[in-house]
Amino acid sequence: MLLPKFEFHEPETLKEAAAILSGIGEPTSILAGGTDLLVNMKKGKASPRHLVSLGRVRELKKTARDGESLRIGACVTVAELREEREIKDDFDGLFRGAGLLGSPLIRNLATVGGNIVTARPAADLPPPLIAYGATIELVKDNGERILSLEDFIKGPGETSIEPGEILSGIILREPPLYSGGGYVKLGMRKALEISLVNVATFFALDGPSGPIQKARVVLGSVGPTPIRSLRAEEILTGERPDEALFEKAGEAAANDAKPIDDFRASAEYRSEMVKLLTRKALKQAYEEAKLREWRRWK
Amino acid sequence: MKTMINLTVNGTKHEAAVEPNRTLVDFLRYDLELTGTKKGCDMGECGSCTVILNGKPVNSCLVLAVQANGSEIMTIEGLKTAEGLHPLQKAFVEKGAIQCGFCSPGMILAANNLLQKTPTPTEEEIRTALSGNLCRCTGYQKIIEAVMSVDKQDIP
Amino acid sequence: MTTYSTVNSRAPRLDAPDKATGSAVYIDDIRLPGMLFGAMLHSPLAHAKILNIDTRGAKRLSGVKSVVTYEDTGLIKYGVSPARYDELLFCDGKVRYVGDEVAAVAAVDLETAVEALSLINVEYEELPAVLTMEEALAEGAPLVHDEYQRNIGAEVHHEFGDVESALAQCDLVRTDTFRSKRQDAAFIEPQGCIADYDGRGYLTLRSSTQTPHYVQRTIAMVLGLPIGKVRVVKPYVGGGFGPKAAANAMEMAACLMSMKTGKPVKMGFTREEVFLHSRARHQFVHTLTTGVKKDGTIVALKNECYLEGGAYTSFGIATIYYAGSLLGGPYRLQNMKYDGYRVYTNKPACGAQRGHGGVIARAAWEQQLDRIAEEIGMDPVELRLKNMMEAGDVSCNELKMNSLGMRECIEAVRDGSGWKEKKGRLPKGKGIGMACGFFVSGAGFPIYRSDTYHATVSIHVSEDGGTVHVYTASAEIGQGSDTAFAMIAAETIGIPLDSVMISSGDTEFGIDLGAYSSRQTLMTGHATKEAAVDVRNQILAVMARELKVDISELDIKDGLIVFKHGGVDFSRLRARYIREHRGWQGIARGNDPLTFQEAARIAYLARGTIIGRGKYKPAELGGSHKGAAVGTSPAYGCSAQVVEVSVDMETGRITVEKMTDAHDCGFAINRTSVEGQMQGSLSMGLGEALYEEVKFDEKGRILNPNLGEYKIPTSLDMPNVNPIIVESHEPYGPFGAKEVGEGAIMPTIPAILNAVYDATGIRFQELPLTPERVFMALRAKKQKP
Repeated sequence: MLLPKFEFHEPETLKEAAAILSGIGEPTSILAGGTDLLVNMKKGKASPRHLVSLGRVRELKKTARDGESLRIGACVTVAELREEREIKDDFDGLFRGAGLLGSPLIRNLATVGGNIVTARPAADLPPPLIAYGATIELVKDNGERILSLEDFIKGPGETSIEPGEILSGIILREPPLYSGGGYVKLGMRKALEISLVNVATFFALDGPSGPIQKARVVLGSVGPTPIRSLRAEEILTGERPDEALFEKAGEAAANDAKPIDDFRASAEYRSEMVKLLTRKALKQAYEEAKLREWRRWK
Repeated sequence: MKTMINLTVNGTKHEAAVEPNRTLVDFLRYDLELTGTKKGCDMGECGSCTVILNGKPVNSCLVLAVQANGSEIMTIEGLKTAEGLHPLQKAFVEKGAIQCGFCSPGMILAANNLLQKTPTPTEEEIRTALSGNLCRCTGYQKIIEAVMSVDKQDIP
Repeated sequence: MTTYSTVNSRAPRLDAPDKATGSAVYIDDIRLPGMLFGAMLHSPLAHAKILNIDTRGAKRLSGVKSVVTYEDTGLIKYGVSPARYDELLFCDGKVRYVGDEVAAVAAVDLETAVEALSLINVEYEELPAVLTMEEALAEGAPLVHDEYQRNIGAEVHHEFGDVESALAQCDLVRTDTFRSKRQDAAFIEPQGCIADYDGRGYLTLRSSTQTPHYVQRTIAMVLGLPIGKVRVVKPYVGGGFGPKAAANAMEMAACLMSMKTGKPVKMGFTREEVFLHSRARHQFVHTLTTGVKKDGTIVALKNECYLEGGAYTSFGIATIYYAGSLLGGPYRLQNMKYDGYRVYTNKPACGAQRGHGGVIARAAWEQQLDRIAEEIGMDPVELRLKNMMEAGDVSCNELKMNSLGMRECIEAVRDGSGWKEKKGRLPKGKGIGMACGFFVSGAGFPIYRSDTYHATVSIHVSEDGGTVHVYTASAEIGQGSDTAFAMIAAETIGIPLDSVMISSGDTEFGIDLGAYSSRQTLMTGHATKEAAVDVRNQILAVMARELKVDISELDIKDGLIVFKHGGVDFSRLRARYIREHRGWQGIARGNDPLTFQEAARIAYLARGTIIGRGKYKPAELGGSHKGAAVGTSPAYGCSAQVVEVSVDMETGRITVEKMTDAHDCGFAINRTSVEGQMQGSLSMGLGEALYEEVKFDEKGRILNPNLGEYKIPTSLDMPNVNPIIVESHEPYGPFGAKEVGEGAIMPTIPAILNAVYDATGIRFQELPLTPERVFMALRAKKQKP
């Protein structure tokens, strides 16, 4: 299949990239991993006149610790993300999500930033990132802004990115001592899958055995954007974690989901699966919390 | 407008002028005539276009040739050694891992990449590493057996 | 027992090294000088009148060399079965599905060709469309083809024995309806072709086809060329599974545009076009009524089937017959009635796919037999052992079992899977199921009525005697047929496999009906064997004369001439050979045994190039009823499988954990290849059981024309299979060989269905078993009091 014609730009610094973007008056797309954009262009769903590749912008490919925070460059690939020690140790939900995205071949190309700005309702990374309270940095020619990822995604393929802006990094705060996260995805096959439903969770406990101080439950593929289930979070907060609580949270999450019928699954099934996957993802989070505590103690 | 690119493919340096909308798979197949890299879906869903780009297996249908400027690429044509077939290729031949052969180049490259990182992988690790490479002929079993049969000592 | 040197071994495939290194050439790897690139304009509407086609804009575009529509082709109808030629190369009056071919362009490059398509202006008047069988069969529904009322393009009514009175005498009668979905073969290589019309008026078409011969005939007929001036050459093909077994419009358009421009024209399908134009598995709805005696004897079967065919018939005439006739085996059944209806809809046409016509019928019946076994309190394995046919049996629809290792297959999977220990004893959520299969080993008749040979093979012995070269027009599409024929030739002549070269897939090499209906190993294998015997006889005849011994004293074994009672002086022949090879290394000298190489050289010197000829046509086969041609075969393969599954009772997701498969292939020419066919068949069956469905929107557009959303199993979804080869030594097969490539898929879907029942207590009557379908059924079961 043929790609439409376009002009190609390949800046080497973020500053240069921002300058190029602000200088082009015609429809432009930013090319990162290309696993979504190039497919859409081949299908004729996108035909930008310009592509600005971020592939040579080194500063976007780094993951660095900055005090209490971890800053993930937007162009870190999904496979690279999984190799990061901090992600393996402290962000289990994100680690799982990164391992379930597409296929190993796709994960070597697709970037963390790309999985965010394409704003696909079934995407694997935004739910766990939102669960961990990620913020993102947006840079443009004359400035930058930081906002929460949760506020950034507006609808299928829609974000609050402004013309000329580049998503440059994702910032995760180091999770507190007694905390954990989870991610459960349901597809038909075990690889090359689009989520029918996915759920990411995170909670922090007051002490080794609770109560839950703070919780986030994020539902994917059951609405135009990842959805925070405030009802589930409310049920969890202040309670001691156990199966019964998780089940109640699952029921509540299903009430916050806004699934639709499409050719992949019915709304009814998705709603049922939100209950189940929320419960499972909360269980994972609890397991991780216990594991992290044990690891630290050791 | 065409852009000049320089890249190393299977150890050979190439300089070429390409249109920005040329994908890497088309560049390899139609410009360099390295037709061992196959094209089964052109959407990153089948894995038959797998090449090793800077040490990592990727779908070359989802990479622009211009993005590969300055890169090191290995295609299936680069795997054969001076002594003949690479041990992994030999294993695929001997174990009956090849039927129609269309997925084989990508499958072999993905498997070789795994063996370089993990010389004695478990069956599960092999299945996971190959899960982006679809095969409709074999049911995968003889492919897995072939990868498992390779003696890590033999790998160059 | 006969011992063999080559056949029955695990010889590595001859094509594997080239495929492993990427040097094997497939259609898209070929580039010819001056080649143009073609593209096809498709209908965007499911059903519409064409009011006007304006190609002027496209023709004016720089770089465009040819633009063709129905005006350039004439209105010669074609199809697969002459009984239903219902297609035109390009639509004239109306389009019948989203994707129907309207025009084609050839240009200097693909970009220009695609741009030119956008400059063709077609005015349509949209017509109401029928997208499901229910819509198509409704009173007053719009007609896809005016001449077929109620959109029934074909129907079949058969009765063998007396079903109604037989059912009346049964102790148990069950009726169940089973519904499958449209499926895609999802081979990894999309079809492509290059047509090249030369200055002498010869047309060469290189195409990724399973059936060079049928493509040659169809093209000659549609384009009005003598068959002798059309040559079809098949390069390596990246899988076929059925849909590559008929000529397609792309091939004909490329030929037409090459004839118009005098240049080679290359065309290829995108993955989406594979979904539009590859005629894969129909949707089937079977209503089966089976009657049995208390002791488990199967007495009667009533089979009503509706097939959703799409806009054209393609292989559908054969499909509709197979959906009835293949239930004639492998059980002794005296009364069988079949009513089949193939329904036109405004969707892409369906055709043949692995296990042609029989897969869903088999799934439906084997699940029903499992229910019946339970109801009469009999182990499903015992039920099958009680009813199975044996060699010598003839089915009620006159299929004759010359060999049938059904018992061996059933016992092998029972014992190989731990059936007795596991059946009924697995924990909730885990299940075990079994089923059997049955398939033809080659269609008994060609797709067009003819007394043609089904295969002719010639074997040329090189003048230096070193190698023999097998020429066959058969189609290696990945299944390993080239290697099988080379092995047959090597074994028969008595030489090592590496002395055999094979060239195949070219209509210049003879007649061969191609790779479909699991026919090549048996049919082309026979012709190869006959040609090899001819080579051997010619060479030994010269030897006998030269050495003045009786020909019965001579044999060829492992590349050497064997004198059964020794004592033959061949020094004169050896001296002659050595004289011709002064300075050569590595040739036999002194008292070394006489080699095939020397003998073949001497034979050449005596008679000129030694060419062996072989041919094959099935002997008179049974069946005098209309449609008996579909289902009759010189031999039948059979199989049994046991599958273990686990069902996630919370999500409904099924994991197939273990598969044990036994297949009677008569005799394994190549043991590795036979296992490969078994494992591959099971993988396709698993996908069809659990995931695969081509879906459409309300406008008749495919929703999932890609391998991301049309889900075939990945390496993580397919378990290991324990493949057990059963060899019943088919008297009509070469070395006793018969099919494996399609029959092996037969038991997979029902074995999974039966295992899922064992795990959940639920019988599913609709495919695929998606997590949602399973979950909803589990929930409904829980809610029932």
